[in-house]
Amino acid sequence: MATPVGSAPMQGSRLRRAFTSPVTARILFPFAVIAVWYLIYYTIDSRIFPTPVEVLEFMWEEITLTSGVRYSSVATNLYGQFGISILRLTAGFLIATTIGTLLGLAMGLWKSVDAFFHDWVMAILAMPALVWALALSIIFGFGHTAPVLTVILAGVPFVIVNVREGVRNTPKELIDMAKSFEVPQEKITRHVLLPSLMPFFFAGMRYAYSIGWKGLVIAEVFGSQVGMGWTIKFWYDAHRAKGVIGYALFFIIFAVTLEKVVFDPLARRTFKWRPALNAYQLAEGDFGAVSQEGFLLEEDEIDQDIEVTGMEGRSHDG
Amino acid sequence: MAEIKVEDLHKEFGIGEDRVVALENVNLDVKGHVFVSIVGPSGCGKSTLLNILSGIETPSSGKVTITQDNRDAEPGYVFQAARLLPWRTVMDNLLFVQHDRSEESRQRCQRYLDMVQLGDKIDKYPGELSGGMQQRVGIARAFSIEPDVLFMDEPFSHLDAITARALRRELHEMWRQTKKTVLFVTHDVGEAVELSNRIVVFAKGGKLKDDVQIDLPFPRDPSDDEVAVAKAQVLRKFEELDLIAS
Repeated sequence: MATPVGSAPMQGSRLRRAFTSPVTARILFPFAVIAVWYLIYYTIDSRIFPTPVEVLEFMWEEITLTSGVRYSSVATNLYGQFGISILRLTAGFLIATTIGTLLGLAMGLWKSVDAFFHDWVMAILAMPALVWALALSIIFGFGHTAPVLTVILAGVPFVIVNVREGVRNTPKELIDMAKSFEVPQEKITRHVLLPSLMPFFFAGMRYAYSIGWKGLVIAEVFGSQVGMGWTIKFWYDAHRAKGVIGYALFFIIFAVTLEKVVFDPLARRTFKWRPALNAYQLAEGDFGAVSQEGFLLEEDEIDQDIEVTGMEGRSHDG
Repeated sequence: MAEIKVEDLHKEFGIGEDRVVALENVNLDVKGHVFVSIVGPSGCGKSTLLNILSGIETPSSGKVTITQDNRDAEPGYVFQAARLLPWRTVMDNLLFVQHDRSEESRQRCQRYLDMVQLGDKIDKYPGELSGGMQQRVGIARAFSIEPDVLFMDEPFSHLDAITARALRRELHEMWRQTKKTVLFVTHDVGEAVELSNRIVVFAKGGKLKDDVQIDLPFPRDPSDDEVAVAKAQVLRKFEELDLIAS
């Protein structure tokens, strides 16, 4: 039987759609993980590998301080270890963001600055965090310096590269528009350059944060006597997998919460102008051209093939 | 009275074999409450002329002066695409080009947004508007600084025929009310005949080829016989000048 084109979906498929919907899939994922976990548990030596329940029990004991474990003289429990790591991460992250933004801006605005730093940014980008952690631990010993520096060095190239790309992607048409209306440069920077930079800045910040965390844990394993990384190593040395997994989960929970509580609302506020396809455009069949970053590309950006070769800048003689 | 004076203007891009002449010794004088269209084929230097007038590009030689009663005139611009800041509301887009954010500026912006029938959309973001509405905001923005002269670069070329026609009418009404000097670049001869007192014809290579007066009363309906005849005459001139063949 021929299926009519453009008819409303049939009622009977509702149940099937509920099963195959993205929401269901998302909810099903943790269950799949637990299933695989138990599968592994029953196939390998169960004295080494903990069950999810054991890990949760461990985490609960750590949270309620009922495990009786005292880690070191400086930070005696979960909260102490966690607090130190978060402080190190925050300090490194803020420094990386500040330096990265300033350098990225300079590199985006001036070609000579870009040429000066370019290769070195790429080199730092290519360097594994492990190397920073090891080298800096040897140089600075077991203090805060090595972990914080590792966070900075791991994160800063991502901020630089993103901010630089952001500056380069500033819509020239908008700058030209502002200039022809004789808007002062300071106002152009504040209202055209910076807002167009924001999606890149956010991307850089998120990278710096997650890469910084990974660097921090490694640095604390090798170059620290406190912190989350050190605690994970503590449980590794004690040959207790539940400790290693449990502490990793603590941070994952923290990272996801931070994302939802800080980054997401901040991004929503900053990008509230972002166009969802609006009713007018749908009605006119004008789907515009929204680039990945959510900018409305100007139509003349799309037919760039009309550019006359040999002419500098853009010519819209059509 | 506003005056746009272009004297021996020459502009070329590139050097050596890549050299392209965009404008060749152009002379033009536009004065008072007139609507002047610049028409010509692609690559005839129309937009380059506008870019020079707006200060985005500098001439290779010659000079342009835009004056209002012997002082520097303040120009306003309408571009091919609306060129609105997507992260600013409609009202803020207009306020962005004002000298200050005073209540007076705000009221002036509101007045021109009312004129383009967007008075109730001031808190919308450009992304929430249709292409035609965005271009209307662009037009209101140009008028809102109450410029002495207005430069427009094919402002309706990206719009559908019906929207473009409605906007042309609105624009013309605003021009009549505000008595501005308008320089309007287009490749659409029909549009030029409908809107202008005077049509300046450019040929490829940036040469000014002809200067035609159109003395028909406004508003002009493109389907009127007289307007159709005038359009045919201009098109015939194009053929005589060998513009279409090239």
